[in-house]
Amino acid sequence: MLDTLVSQTANGLVLGFIYVLIAVGLSITFGLLGVINFAHGAFFALGAYAAWELFQLFGWPAVIFAPVLVGLVGMLVEVTIIRRLYGKEPLLSLIVTFALALLIEALIRFAWGADGKPFNPPPFLVGIVEIGPLLITKYRVAVLGATIATLLGLWAFLEWTPYGRVLRAGSRDPEMVELLGINLPRVLTAVFGLGCALAAIAGVLAAPLWTVSPSMAANAVMPAFVVVAIGGLGSFRGAVVAGLAVGIVTSLTIQFKPEAAAASMYALMFAIMLLRPRGLFGERWERFE
Amino acid sequence: MMRMNANRRSFICAMAGVAALSGLGLSEVANAQSNEPIRIGLIYSKQGPGAAIGQYLQRGSELAVEQAGRKVLGRPIELVWLDEPNPQVSQQNMQRLIDENKVVAVVGGNYSSSALAMMSVANREKIPLILTGAAASEITGKSCSRYTFRTQATVPVQMEGLMPYVSQIGKKVYFITASYAFGQDILRASRALLKKVGATEVGVDEVPINTADYSSYILKIRQAKPDVVVGGLVGGDFSNFLKQWNEMGMKDKIPYAAIAVTDTDFWDVGTQASTGIYVKPWYFKNTKNTEAEKKMSADFQKKYNEPPSDKTWSGWMGMRALLESIEAAKSTDAKAIVTELEKWKNSEEAFPFFFRDWDHQMVRPAVIVGVKKQISDKWDYFDVLKNTSESAADTEKAFGTKEEVGCNMPAL
Repeated sequence: MLDTLVSQTANGLVLGFIYVLIAVGLSITFGLLGVINFAHGAFFALGAYAAWELFQLFGWPAVIFAPVLVGLVGMLVEVTIIRRLYGKEPLLSLIVTFALALLIEALIRFAWGADGKPFNPPPFLVGIVEIGPLLITKYRVAVLGATIATLLGLWAFLEWTPYGRVLRAGSRDPEMVELLGINLPRVLTAVFGLGCALAAIAGVLAAPLWTVSPSMAANAVMPAFVVVAIGGLGSFRGAVVAGLAVGIVTSLTIQFKPEAAAASMYALMFAIMLLRPRGLFGERWERFE
Repeated sequence: MMRMNANRRSFICAMAGVAALSGLGLSEVANAQSNEPIRIGLIYSKQGPGAAIGQYLQRGSELAVEQAGRKVLGRPIELVWLDEPNPQVSQQNMQRLIDENKVVAVVGGNYSSSALAMMSVANREKIPLILTGAAASEITGKSCSRYTFRTQATVPVQMEGLMPYVSQIGKKVYFITASYAFGQDILRASRALLKKVGATEVGVDEVPINTADYSSYILKIRQAKPDVVVGGLVGGDFSNFLKQWNEMGMKDKIPYAAIAVTDTDFWDVGTQASTGIYVKPWYFKNTKNTEAEKKMSADFQKKYNEPPSDKTWSGWMGMRALLESIEAAKSTDAKAIVTELEKWKNSEEAFPFFFRDWDHQMVRPAVIVGVKKQISDKWDYFDVLKNTSESAADTEKAFGTKEEVGCNMPAL
């Protein structure tokens, strides 16, 4: 019994990290721009497709090129569409980004067809690692490593670089930042691009696990929204803690009550929302009050 | 928008025609009428996880129309294709096809839940509906309808074909099924067969649909140590499961068996992760395919540069049955078409297949296939093992008696 618990908890943790990676881009876009990006899942799928396409041309470096490319697409989208949503009613950004999600999905289908694309892990990452009751696939260990590295890099960037300071300050008091002579619109374009690139990294890493199809994001993005809600909108730390909690709760529910597996994360969200309506680490932000 | 323009244009043309005809004989008028297209509705997914399946179904139906020279009763055929995203919208689209597009019949319906919703409209509006997917028993069982016909074999029929294979692999069976009508149908049908084939159930997981990650389920299956896993997952869920089954090193350890799968499930996953034994309606590489089916495969290959999936076959066969019945009825009258569909018979295979008049189920064996050990062709994944039944009598028996099926067919 203990073996089962240990094994499912470990599996849940790994799964949780994948959710964190999907959620963190969403969280950043909201935290810094105040836009809830419903098209996040579409950029996730676009990342997987870009990697698939670039892989035919460049081989494995494609997994690096794809997020960069999607980040650039995201910046283009920010300049043409998203920019107009800042400071407007949140409902407007929901509707516009939802439409954007449908548009990108349709474009993917138009460009690559409705069928899925086979995408396998690299040969050296095929196989499993067994330590006592723990069983984790090599690929998931690699995903875990890549996720932790991405999160650490992102955290260091936001916390310690001058650019990160501008971002954080800009999200709190845009007027003051502009008065200091900083070109804020350009900064915000980069932030949206960063959020999209993070979605693409998640898409690339998920591609060998989940079928690469135009609607692949649908099942993956819902947990990400739950994670962001539990962790607190805009909170980096919250997304990490909430992602791991959702992963573990889902895994353990599958073990003991599989029919409730899909509902378990919503139950967790419900309980946390009752206790802390802003989420675990959500702060009180004057601009969202 | 284009269709509206085309309609408007044809309307203006027709008006101009009427003006010009005022001085001409009646035969000219009859001629103009005979060029009025016969509209047939299609309801297949255009977006979301079912889009690939919808595309193959639509291409199949389209091919049947092309092979008929795009004409029926000497008049041009116009296909109107609407989406099948969920039961509510499918039902509305069915209504729209009838009210706005004035279709004489509808071919479509891949999902049992949508199919049941569409059936109620077909019944109320008295428009023939040929379902090309939708395996739930009740469609031709207790919810059967005079205006609905179905090409796909029901869940119990497919399970009856699969379970003897399963029991040859081993006696300890683990079930992993989707937790809605289709999955529950599979569980019910297989549990009823377990004793007959001398197998036992060692575990069951009913998985919520749209589950992306199966690793926790796979860990459970691993702990239960079954001889074989019987699955009932659909579409993207099934593809995700197969991918992760392979990723977690289970592919060569425990065999997987399932029904109602389609070629695209495997084409999406790729050769590396595909494994298992399956029941499907049709396979393009089956040497027993009829001449007409071989021609369909060749025509499809020529047009799209890839082989047809079993969904193409379903869309093609449903449309063929409808067009042949309209020809036989010599009219587009719904009652006449239904009467002819009930009499329709295809004699191209070893023994004829047809829609049974008392439940409107197509009585035809399905094919049991196994994934090849080495897949060298990126489309050809399976070895054909056998058909679910090999004689007319066995096939009819497999589809159940009136009492077992429970359809009380209403009058026309």
